[in-house]
Amino acid sequence: MAQAEIPYQESMELSHPHSWWTKYWFSQDHKVIAVQYGITAIAVGLVALVLSDLMRIQIAFPEWEIMSPDFYYQAITMHGMIMVIYLLTAFLLGAFGNFCIPLMCGARDMAFPFVNMLSYHVYLLSVLILLVGYFVPGGPTGAGWTLYPPQTITAGTPGNEWGITTMLASLAVFIVAFTMGGLNYITTVLQARTRGMTLMRMPLTVWGIFMATFLGLLAFPALFVSAIMMLLDKWIGTSFFMPAIVSLGEHLEYSGGQPLLFQHLFWFFGHPEVYIVALPAFGVVSDIISVNARKNIFGYRLMVWALVAIGILSFIVWAHHMFVAGMHPFFGFFFATTTLIIAVPTAIKVYNWILTLWRANVRLTVPMLYALSFVLTFILGGITGLFLGNVIIDVPLSDTYFVVAHFHMVMGVAPILVIFGGIYHWYPKITGRMLNDRIGRVHFWITFLGTYIIYFPMHYLGFIGTPRRYFDNLGVSDFYPMSAHYLNDVITIVALVVGASQLLYIYNLVYSYFRGEKASPNPWGAASLEWCTPQTPPEHGNWGDTLPTVHRWAYDYSVPGHDKDFIAQNEPQRSPA
Amino acid sequence: MASQGQQHPIKVYFLVWFLLFVFSAGSYYVDIAGFEGMARWFLILVFMLLKAGFIVAVFMHMKWERPALILAILLPTLFLLVLMYLMAFEADYAYATRVLYFGADPNAVALPPVTH
Amino acid sequence: MAEATNQNPQGAIESTVVDWSSDQTVFKGVPWGKAMMWIFLLSDTFIFTCFLVSYMTIRMTTGAPWPEPSLVFGLTVFGMNVPLLLIAIMTFILITSSGTMALAVNMGYRGNKNGVFWLMLATALLGLSFVGMQAFEWSKLISEGIYAWENQMEAAPQFGSIFFMVTGFHGLHVSAGVAYLAIIAFRVRMGKYDKKGYDIVEITGLYWHFVDLVWVFIFAFFYLW
Ligand code: HEM
Ligand SMILES: [Cu+2]
Repeated sequence: MAQAEIPYQESMELSHPHSWWTKYWFSQDHKVIAVQYGITAIAVGLVALVLSDLMRIQIAFPEWEIMSPDFYYQAITMHGMIMVIYLLTAFLLGAFGNFCIPLMCGARDMAFPFVNMLSYHVYLLSVLILLVGYFVPGGPTGAGWTLYPPQTITAGTPGNEWGITTMLASLAVFIVAFTMGGLNYITTVLQARTRGMTLMRMPLTVWGIFMATFLGLLAFPALFVSAIMMLLDKWIGTSFFMPAIVSLGEHLEYSGGQPLLFQHLFWFFGHPEVYIVALPAFGVVSDIISVNARKNIFGYRLMVWALVAIGILSFIVWAHHMFVAGMHPFFGFFFATTTLIIAVPTAIKVYNWILTLWRANVRLTVPMLYALSFVLTFILGGITGLFLGNVIIDVPLSDTYFVVAHFHMVMGVAPILVIFGGIYHWYPKITGRMLNDRIGRVHFWITFLGTYIIYFPMHYLGFIGTPRRYFDNLGVSDFYPMSAHYLNDVITIVALVVGASQLLYIYNLVYSYFRGEKASPNPWGAASLEWCTPQTPPEHGNWGDTLPTVHRWAYDYSVPGHDKDFIAQNEPQRSPA
Repeated sequence: MASQGQQHPIKVYFLVWFLLFVFSAGSYYVDIAGFEGMARWFLILVFMLLKAGFIVAVFMHMKWERPALILAILLPTLFLLVLMYLMAFEADYAYATRVLYFGADPNAVALPPVTH
Repeated sequence: MAEATNQNPQGAIESTVVDWSSDQTVFKGVPWGKAMMWIFLLSDTFIFTCFLVSYMTIRMTTGAPWPEPSLVFGLTVFGMNVPLLLIAIMTFILITSSGTMALAVNMGYRGNKNGVFWLMLATALLGLSFVGMQAFEWSKLISEGIYAWENQMEAAPQFGSIFFMVTGFHGLHVSAGVAYLAIIAFRVRMGKYDKKGYDIVEITGLYWHFVDLVWVFIFAFFYLW
């Protein structure tokens, strides 16, 4: 490879902002866009958090009558959708992706900074449209985050007037935003790496984000298409998803549509979506674990191939969400099999994390605590996933709290823990200051233990048959043992505590920004490229005059015979003297 | 080198252009000549794939790209084949259940549409 | 000749492995914009295929009869019903526009600025006439009582729904393409790419050929099947 020539990187023109607006609001700097994504995602995530606490109060103390059934269903829907799409997807790809990819690959910026800037603003628009749902007549949709027709559209479902429209419109806009961002991430990873940076030298964070983006670009189209078709069903009376139906005694003007088609399209998107959230988390966790174990990640190549394999397999397992939907009876066998196969690469990753820790010199820093708790939580959620992947076990458990426990563990709590850990890990690079360690630890233990107290008992609630998405469990569930009612009270109280404790983290973010201890350029002693920038925080263009040259992978920790306990990626190989 | 891009003799383009017209005419012929059943579907698909193949290969220059790009673009579409194949299964089954529950006459709608 | 650099010395598999394991770029010699366009088109392929798969599913599951395309899409000229006449003209136009686009790309790499401009403009105009004919086709169908939500032919209501949706979505792509072509054409004329090179013409071309490609499938599945 010619040393001198970096085909497009060197000729890249960066915009040079002059006013406050172009510097902080319409900035084309990937680091600023990352922060914008992050702040917006956290803000909207807080809305979802408040909704979840309100729901919990309703579940445990229905006699307080704090909300109507409609409000409950709307809260479920908004909570689920915000958490999955507008918080997790946006944060892991929009914030981590934007920040990490150029820095870790040694690029000056994303390949198309202008499109990247647009991506954030379109995302912001989608969030606003989503929230407008609370102000339109009838409120937001209460159809559940899966939005299954026909009930999404029929009378009696809250938000069937306007809420469903704002929801679908917001999703469509989000997909446009995601596509603009995603094309950037993919192009940057594939075409804008620096000298010496091969794909197999990239940190796993970049690999995870890259695979997730790839999944997103191929999976979101299915959601986009179903959103369009449902909007047409709703507004101009087509019958794509709507069968002939009698609703509230009235014969609707629909006929011959196929509700199952929506479910298939939705889950053709929905299952990869789970991995869009999980794969970046896998990547970030791998890096945090390796840095804090002061060991190279065990089986790097296998980790990469496992990411790829999971990504591919995730496109052929979607109907495991539909075992009780009345689909083709042979599908149960097919999709159960593929689902169980996907456990193999996933298990490989878990083993490799654990083997990385084996006999390591573990530093229990706050990011490491989050990373370790992720592994634990993910194992637990993954195992219940194996239960649900088997048709015969899924049939009685589906739509019970067992499912709620499963998905909160595996795609709710686990990636959130990674987000906390990741922010903590990169905060010094983003702001030049450390987050407060004590607040970090307090927040970690409350959140970690709290979520276990919240979700662990839910498995049991599921076994005794507590149905999911029920507004009032007292009326319909006199058959519960009294213990279950107490359990619900405990869960709610802890959920309130955990919810409130999130303010600690936000306080920490704000406080440390102004008062935090000044950070050294590489406080964790990490080897990957983002810690080698000439300035901290890196300036626009990241690398000063010349791009770094990469000589090794990102995991040279505790190499024998070396004076430091890590070797940065841009340090030349010592010629064998 | 890179900015030189995809430069090929104009002759190729004219040839493909011509072929596209021929294939389109072929598809019409299938319709006009009134082929039915398997023969019709087979011919339509063949002409469709030929046209698509030439557009992608020559007009979009895929033929001259390096295999790294060709594979990266073509392989993911296999997911779509899986989706298509499985949905065809599913649709057959859904149709069968409709006939089963709503009447033996396959041409009957479950509930007649209510017109405006 | 550029041909030589793009040809791979090794076998396909080996060349792929070598490219993917190299540093800096995976797609050797491919500008960023072109890589991005290809990936976008892949994503767009998923959108259109999801539409088409929905079409297949709905058509296979409906109990109501599906209309005969050659009857619905016929055009009466001089008192004679010619099946698919309009569609034939539209197909002809779109293929022609693909041809002019391909020539524009070629002219770009020859540095023939005027050639690029006029050929791209011709492509855009052909695209515009395609959209016009589609508008005509739609209004004709609507005047015959085929709506997106029902029809007066005792046929499945989904016939109109899926037809208007998919051709409409394709039409939007064509319209966007016309605007895109026009903008790039004028920027070429203004000399914006004299220094940067004419990759942009090829990238625009990729998009335009894709629109044509989609039409190939729509044509087969909606008008002939
Ligand atoms: C402390 C944090 C959280 C609490 C207390 C909480 C609580 C709840 C509750 C009470 C429900 C409704 C269950 C029902 O009645 O069926 C629910 C549903 C849901 N939650 Fe959470 N949640 C939390 C965090 C998350 C996170 C981080 C995610 C991200 C994936 C998430 C995703 C979902 C989804 C997808 C649903 C299903 C919505 C539906 O049924 O349509 N939650 N959550
Ligand atoms: Cu799944």
